[in-house]
Amino acid sequence: MAAIRASEKRPWTFYALATLFVAFLLFLYGPMFVIYILSFQGPNGGVTFPMVGVSLTWFHEVFQKEQMANLPVAFVRSVELATVVCILTVVFSVAAGLGFRRRFPGSGVLFYIAVASLVMPSLLVGFGIGLGFQFLGWQTSLFTSALGAQLTWTLPFGLFAMFAVVNRFNRSWEEAATDLGASAWQRLRYVTLPILAPGIFGVAMGAFTLSYDEYARTTLTIGPKNTLPLEIYALISSASSPTLFAIGTLTTAVSFTAIIATLIIVTRMQRRRAALRA
Amino acid sequence: MDNRFDVELVSVTKRYGTTLAVDDISLRIPRGTYCCLLGPSGCGKTTTLRMIAGHEAVTEGDILIHGENVSDLPPVKRGTAMMFQSYALFPHMNCLDNVAFSLKMRGVAKKERHAKAREFLELVHMGSYAERLPAQLSGGQQQRIALARALINRPRVLLLDEPLSALDPFLRTKVREELKRLQRELGITFIHVTHSQDEAMALADLMVVMEAGHIRQAAQPREIFERPVSPFIARFIGSHNVLRFDTGPIAVRADRCRLGAAGEGPHVNGQVVAVEYQGAMVRVAVMTEAGDEVSALVPDQAFYRKPAEPGDPATLVWAPEDTHALVES
Amino acid sequence: MISDAVTSILPSRLLASGERRTRRGRLPPWMVSWAQVAPMALVLVVLFALPTILFLVVSFYDWDRVGIYPAFILDNYRDLLTTPATWRVYVSSLRFAAIVWAVTLFLGFNIAYFLIFHVRSKITRTVLFLLCAIPFWTSGIIRTIAWIPFLGRNGAFNTMLMMAGITSKPLEFLLFSDFAVIITYVHLFTLLMVGPIANSMAKIDKALLEAAIDAGASRWRVMVDVVIPLSKTGIVLGSILVFTQVMGDYFVVKQMSGGQSASIVSMLSTEIQAMQYPPAAANAMVLVVFVALLVAAMMKVVDVRKELVK
Repeated sequence: MAAIRASEKRPWTFYALATLFVAFLLFLYGPMFVIYILSFQGPNGGVTFPMVGVSLTWFHEVFQKEQMANLPVAFVRSVELATVVCILTVVFSVAAGLGFRRRFPGSGVLFYIAVASLVMPSLLVGFGIGLGFQFLGWQTSLFTSALGAQLTWTLPFGLFAMFAVVNRFNRSWEEAATDLGASAWQRLRYVTLPILAPGIFGVAMGAFTLSYDEYARTTLTIGPKNTLPLEIYALISSASSPTLFAIGTLTTAVSFTAIIATLIIVTRMQRRRAALRA
Repeated sequence: MDNRFDVELVSVTKRYGTTLAVDDISLRIPRGTYCCLLGPSGCGKTTTLRMIAGHEAVTEGDILIHGENVSDLPPVKRGTAMMFQSYALFPHMNCLDNVAFSLKMRGVAKKERHAKAREFLELVHMGSYAERLPAQLSGGQQQRIALARALINRPRVLLLDEPLSALDPFLRTKVREELKRLQRELGITFIHVTHSQDEAMALADLMVVMEAGHIRQAAQPREIFERPVSPFIARFIGSHNVLRFDTGPIAVRADRCRLGAAGEGPHVNGQVVAVEYQGAMVRVAVMTEAGDEVSALVPDQAFYRKPAEPGDPATLVWAPEDTHALVES
Repeated sequence: MISDAVTSILPSRLLASGERRTRRGRLPPWMVSWAQVAPMALVLVVLFALPTILFLVVSFYDWDRVGIYPAFILDNYRDLLTTPATWRVYVSSLRFAAIVWAVTLFLGFNIAYFLIFHVRSKITRTVLFLLCAIPFWTSGIIRTIAWIPFLGRNGAFNTMLMMAGITSKPLEFLLFSDFAVIITYVHLFTLLMVGPIANSMAKIDKALLEAAIDAGASRWRVMVDVVIPLSKTGIVLGSILVFTQVMGDYFVVKQMSGGQSASIVSMLSTEIQAMQYPPAAANAMVLVVFVALLVAAMMKVVDVRKELVK
């Protein structure tokens, strides 16, 4: 082979930025790896190095019934809530994303309400909803106030994500479908949704994660039964043992499994239609 | 009732808010016509096509297909099929499913619709590409698939929105021939939107030149080329010199002009500004004393017998019978 | 023959009346849009706009240790704005926000630039981007406390420094300090900057950069005259996200400053826990107005709506 052509040579900025990037990754992952390691701390070890042996003590601790917090139950609750949030977010924001393709009376107002809802300090949303429930004499709970509080956060996110997805959608696909005799429903079912599917999947993933990790909006609207992040928060204030790190390792493992599963699904989807990328 | 016309537009107007996209146009397209809607961008030709297809609502006026008023019908009930500019092939379906799509929408069983779709893939010589995804095809191949998809419903009218613009020039001529052949074989009306006068002249039985929401002239290509009605048409169609005399504007074809001397008939004086060798012909561009740029297409032999250079004074002469009077638009 | 047929006067049967009858079975497009956005609009109005109006109203209420009373008094605002502690917290939050904004903007811009313009293979780019994004899937709480064993007196960082012989004693300022707060914020929010900026940069036609270089622009001029103006939308969006996240933070300052600093929201949450709703509401209103003004100022720079929707 010939020598590398001059144009193939990297400028010095490449090396500078690559170094910055690697340093950033170390910064991103360094502390996380410390807690992963410390979660395997021996039974007599503490919350810092050195490791005093290696054990699964702290993982056992997480699942102890006499623990002040009941983490497995809170986990299930979080997943249930996140699933509902995810479904509603997908349905509502896909519909709204399609609706926003043309200007309509009030589109500006709705857009800015969505922006406001996204940038509003999270706790204040919960505060407002909690206050509202109190005025109406209703009890806050998981699938009413907490669900609502989370939607004020996931819906604008879903909407903005859909803007990006819909922008790449060619209107004439829909017209072609109409031309070929598809009813409004058939057009949605066979053309619009399948083409938008990867983007919709992204919205679903995002909404689920946002809900699953959500803390500040939920805390004032949750009622008596806590979600996982709230339980963890309660634990932090009350205890400082490697149990916390074990929880961190576990939740990361759960998230990671979810990501890998998602990636596999997405790759499959994309392979089936290399079309969209070309 | 005997319908001599496939498509009739009756005082059709399209307004977007206050802007007028198409202004009160009327047109009748006889049976089995290859009709080209031609005009500069923004002239309303695509809007007109989309109104015929039913993708845009008509603001005022009516559209008739085979004598039936279809102004209020959805696209599928009009008996039209549209081929989109970028083809709009569904990226997530293979060619077979794309072509079979309309049958699927009508609930035709899978086996039957696939058999039918293969038949139409054969019609456009794409039978061996049935399983491919649109992204795996070249522009020309995609176009054939789009054509098959549009034809499978046996439309009474096929609407084509700039169908050749995405193809390279080489392919364009070939596909052009094929479109014409197909139109003749199927015997249905094609309405083809284009901004290229070459394309329109090569294809059309009926050429409709539009500008600013109006039809400026509609006739056979030869009629338009030989007798453009206005300076706009003469300029747009190309190869014409438009000159203004006291008696009004006239057009004279560039290939009927030669370099000569005053006194040999109608003429205009000026200065050569450019000389372009085009093979069989040489184009000599002349700036007239009135400031119009005109040109003469001179056979190469004639030109090289008496060559001219930019900067030379020149007189453009033509025969009196080649003067074609225009109506000021 | 054909030309005869064209533009001839039409039979009266086909009259095209000036008054257009309504087209059958077609909803006007804006109505379709309304139906499509209705569910989202309903949720946002009922669960966001109305509650916000509610605490605006409550912020004017009177209160005492026992309960709250409908009224229209400005005392809550006066008390809030005349308390030096309020100003201190706002100044401290703004300072955090400014520093974190500067750091995340620097990091975010450079990382996005690296990913979009330097990484050539699409697969590598996706993988690297995922590497940046994966920690985002871990709970913010976990990511915050992850810094404790790292930065602590006997933490990993100090241990490394001492082992490398850079310091002889553990550094004390690392944990439970403003430094720890800032580092945690940067850790949590840099991705919010990388994402939008990378998105904007990905839309820049590479030919523009080549054209600029052909025109004799230096690397620096290309950056200033081409890349930065064209990534403005992303920069503004990222800035809005980072700024509002820091201003609305509740947890990080509380956990990482070791009680040395407070955040606006944690001050507010103390009031809520004490059921002092009217002052809490006044406090919330001031914060909302403040954040809204900041965001509005940033959105002045770029018409975010135009950029996003079309």
